[in-house]
Amino acid sequence: MSSKGERGAAAGGEPKVVVRNLWKVFGPHAQRVLAAIKSGHAQESVAVEFGHVIAVRDATFSVQPGEIFVIMGLSGSGKSTLVRCISRLIEPTGGYIAVDGAEVTAMDAAQLMQLRRHTMSMVFQHFGLFPHRTVLQNAAYGLEVQGMPLAQREARAREMLELVGLAGWAGSRPQHLSGGMQQRVGLARALAVDPAVLLCDEPFSALDPLIRRDMQDELLRLQQMMHKTILFITHDFLEALKLGDRIAIMKDGRLVQVGTPEEIVSHPAGDYVREFTRDAPRAKVITARSLAQPRAGVDAPAVPASTRLEELLQRMAAGQTQLSVCEDDGTLLGVVDQAAVLRALAGAAPR
Amino acid sequence: MAERRARRWLALCAGAAAAVLLGVHFVGVGFGPFPLEWNIGLRQPIDGFQSWVIGNRSTHPIFILVFGPFSAFVDWGLRAAEDILLWLPWPVSVWLFAVLAWHAANWRITLLTVGGLFFMGLMGLWEQSMQTLALMLVAVSLSLLVSVPLGILAARHAHLQQVLRPILDLMQTMPAFVYLIPVLLFFGVARVPSVVATMIYAIPPGIRLTELGLRQVSPTVVEAARAFGATRRQLLWHVQLPLALPAIMAGVNQTIMMALSIVIIAALIGAGGLGREVLVALQRLQVGRALEAGLAVVMLAIIMDRISGALADQPTDLRAADANSEPSAERPLWQRARIMVPLVAGLLLVACLLAGVQNFPAAVRVPLYQPVDAAVAWMRDNLYRIGDSGWGSGPLSDFITIRMLDPLRALFAHGLAWPVQVALAVCAGAALSGFPLALQAGLGLFAIGLLGMWELAMDTVSQVVVAVVISILMAVPLGIWAARNSLVDALLRPILDTLQTIPSFVFLVPVIMLFNVGRVPGVIASVLYALPPGIRLTTLGLRQVNDEVREAARAFGSSSWQQLTKVELPLALPSILLGINQVIMMVLAMVVISGLVAAPGWGWKR
Repeated sequence: MSSKGERGAAAGGEPKVVVRNLWKVFGPHAQRVLAAIKSGHAQESVAVEFGHVIAVRDATFSVQPGEIFVIMGLSGSGKSTLVRCISRLIEPTGGYIAVDGAEVTAMDAAQLMQLRRHTMSMVFQHFGLFPHRTVLQNAAYGLEVQGMPLAQREARAREMLELVGLAGWAGSRPQHLSGGMQQRVGLARALAVDPAVLLCDEPFSALDPLIRRDMQDELLRLQQMMHKTILFITHDFLEALKLGDRIAIMKDGRLVQVGTPEEIVSHPAGDYVREFTRDAPRAKVITARSLAQPRAGVDAPAVPASTRLEELLQRMAAGQTQLSVCEDDGTLLGVVDQAAVLRALAGAAPR
Repeated sequence: MAERRARRWLALCAGAAAAVLLGVHFVGVGFGPFPLEWNIGLRQPIDGFQSWVIGNRSTHPIFILVFGPFSAFVDWGLRAAEDILLWLPWPVSVWLFAVLAWHAANWRITLLTVGGLFFMGLMGLWEQSMQTLALMLVAVSLSLLVSVPLGILAARHAHLQQVLRPILDLMQTMPAFVYLIPVLLFFGVARVPSVVATMIYAIPPGIRLTELGLRQVSPTVVEAARAFGATRRQLLWHVQLPLALPAIMAGVNQTIMMALSIVIIAALIGAGGLGREVLVALQRLQVGRALEAGLAVVMLAIIMDRISGALADQPTDLRAADANSEPSAERPLWQRARIMVPLVAGLLLVACLLAGVQNFPAAVRVPLYQPVDAAVAWMRDNLYRIGDSGWGSGPLSDFITIRMLDPLRALFAHGLAWPVQVALAVCAGAALSGFPLALQAGLGLFAIGLLGMWELAMDTVSQVVVAVVISILMAVPLGIWAARNSLVDALLRPILDTLQTIPSFVFLVPVIMLFNVGRVPGVIASVLYALPPGIRLTTLGLRQVNDEVREAARAFGSSSWQQLTKVELPLALPSILLGINQVIMMVLAMVVISGLVAAPGWGWKR
């Protein structure tokens, strides 16, 4: 967890994944409907009337290398469609997608196949494992379609199974494994091809709560080792807070807010997002940075800006009434007092 | 694990035995054909029974008290139904059918119904169609009279169900030809045995679906009714039957379809109508006429299937709601069905009777048979041998006979000694399934020998093997193609529907025209008959592959070929194997039929 903020902040250079003005309309005349909506000629309700569904509306975002970018939304919000558009498992109706600077939306079938074989891989909600293959053969599938020789790919797949803690299960069939173990196979299969971008479509939604927490920790552990660029879909806001370096909240096909967990919890854009943040573990998400009130000449002990609310609370409980908040380079950001901490904890908007 | 090992061991033993026996055979002992003196002579007791039945038919109490009255009753019902349907002027019948279709389904099925009836009329088959319809009505109502109460009883008494199940299995899997003869014996040659044969075939689905429907009624609902003090009878009539109604209606639908599917076979033992028309036309080599009558059967089947299917699909609560909403008094007169339907029917009836219209006018006739006959003649003249190319159906027929059928028959009948084959059958049974199948396969083959049918059976086996191999080689690729290409699927579907619903006799004739008499037309007709389930089950299996699994294969960049061979085909394998099983069953069924049609009149004595 501690590395999350650093990675998010350190990510400067070229974004790994760029999505601009992405639209997906399902229906018999998707292109015409999209053109009409864009030019303002048609009401969306009319399009819907004629059997069209607008799954993704004008989505724009970019994902930095090594970042976990979470797309959070309720069922039917279009998040699964959005992530499938990125590898063109679903053909987008309009917009621009690039991965590593290569324009995915302009690729032909052969290029697309190469992209899927080498650059991207995917983890599925219901695991998407091949029931007729052993765990090992499942994990090796991506390498197999790449054309890697048997011995080499099985060695690599074994490595991956070991990494996710399934070393002894290589010969089993996936359906004989528990849900959590099956998804570990799914992860191993996805990681085996050493993808630059990992797409995760609600990978933990089908799991029991305790197993889900284990798997989230597992993903974070793997991420610390591998530094993949991950697009993670979930309908669970707490999961989004726990895993995401940044979160995009999606409603009716539109991205209603994109930001760090802290930004979203402390400044929800509108009532829809605020509804989600009500149960958020503020003490783990909010940092001193967003609580600091500019006030000069106060003599209080200094804490770094990235200090979490839970730690501030401990300091206050230990008798501090005020703390000054500093950037890493020592610049003073402001002061946090007891009242601000309590307000933040209670969920009121800071300041 | 232990069981699997035992299986493998048994298979190995049987295989080894086969090898040893084959070695012995070649070293010089020579088993020869199945020893004729082992024939247990089942024929004599059966013949004896037959002559006893014929001798006692008019004297023995079982005929006077049981079969006689039943026959009389069925005959009376059949005559009455036929008389009414033939007396009704055709416009009235069309009107009543249209109203029924409209009430049960929608305008599309109404249109189909009217179109189908006109087709029968235009083909000059109105009378025959009504005869077949009468047979259907009587056979189906009698079947339901038996099957629904039995289904209710079976749902209530587990032991009755246990007794019934193997009997129903037997009734459904036994080829109709097997019981045609006994039925003839007991009910005499007339129209009654055809009703009985139809009933034997059509009763099982009625029982099964009634029982299923009753068993599927939610236990909570039954418990609730009990809690309110319902008696068993009230429980049945107020709760269980209404809730089971959709399943029972599905049973009615299945009963009708089963009954229609043996129309032509029933004609063999005296049923009139469309079935006889097909048979007679076939015997006279009138392909066009046979096709017309065959299509009329298909039309009748489609109409009755759609209407009864729609009735089964109607949710019960919806029907009730429909009846209650909008009191009909507030609707304009022409919308009040209860008044208008009989009124129009009555007016039509009076008008027709006055005008003397009853049967569909014979003058209005679309001679579909002419182009069909012309096409068949053209194919016979031009496709049998195409120019001097050495291609055509004739050379193909020779190729199949000389290169495939003859060597195989020689191999089965003489090349492999019969003990080797029994051992091989045991071996295959053990390897594929286990001890029971191994035993069945071995004993079954042995029994064929004991019945004195070895030589004939091996002839059949050679035809079945060739037909099955050709069918599979065609069905699986076509099925894959259809699963991957919706256009191919859309094109194939009506062809497969026709092949499956059209009576198998009908396409046997053009095949015989093209391929000459002999074993080849049987093989070709079997292939045509067996293709649809093979193709369908392959397509179905591929379609049933879990979408996420398919997507996963795609997401990892599988090429189309990789996706098919590494993921879809292995997962569809059970379904494809079932398809192959169906192909074998269909081919076996068709071998009987093709032998029948190609029998005496066709000089089938090679």
